[in-house]
Amino acid sequence: MSDVIDTRGLSCPQPVLDTLKKIEAMKSGELDVLVDTDAAKENVSRAVQARGWTVRAISEEGDGEYRLQLAGGQS
Amino acid sequence: MSILDLFRKKDSRQPVDSQVDRGLLVFAHTSEVIRAEKLLKAAGWTIKVMGPPPEIQKGCDLVVEFPLMEKLNILRTLTESGTPPLEIVPVTGPLLAPVDLFQVKDFGNHIMVRAANMKITVEKSTRIIVNISGGGCPDVPYIATQLIGRTLEEAPAPRDIGHTLCGYALDLAHQEILRQCSP
Repeated sequence: MSDVIDTRGLSCPQPVLDTLKKIEAMKSGELDVLVDTDAAKENVSRAVQARGWTVRAISEEGDGEYRLQLAGGQS
Repeated sequence: MSILDLFRKKDSRQPVDSQVDRGLLVFAHTSEVIRAEKLLKAAGWTIKVMGPPPEIQKGCDLVVEFPLMEKLNILRTLTESGTPPLEIVPVTGPLLAPVDLFQVKDFGNHIMVRAANMKITVEKSTRIIVNISGGGCPDVPYIATQLIGRTLEEAPAPRDIGHTLCGYALDLAHQEILRQCSP
């Protein structure tokens, strides 16, 4: 079961910072991140990839909202 | 200091600071501001790109602040290079003071600098760039991929890889965050 963080409604760069804080705390595993802008989708993806995590899937959920499925570490 | 030093001609290209009467060069387009900045810095003047004061309705969203005593020399340099300003405005009071382009926000472990429409965010402890955002220019995604995940020292300067106004604004933010994060 993935952890989930909801960054919808937060302005840039908060979605990125919340995601980085979470993956740093997790070290490894699976994480779903909910975002509500294209910019946040791109920014979170770039930031986690720069930390060695993988964006496994991005699914659109509703009006301009996305779920980013991330995985990283030794999972 | 010898007595002769008192009569020695001083370098007229003094830095812009609060002790010097300042003026603003107003241009019609941002591209002219960028060209003028490059020309004047190459010629040795210390000038600053700023936001225009609210009282100035003309021109673009950027102005060049310069030492007013150098008005004629600077105007000559710009005119000879085909970049004359739309207007030259002396800073005569607080209402005409230019606005700092930068906004800095401290997130604790991270710091963000915004210049015009572009933001750059850095992790303080590692100096790694964690986010580039803002703007809508086509080169922003490319610049972001080149900077994110690298330290401030490793990352290329946005001016070296960008080609648009967003790249220029990001370069200003990059220079400011380098200054903010300098030891």
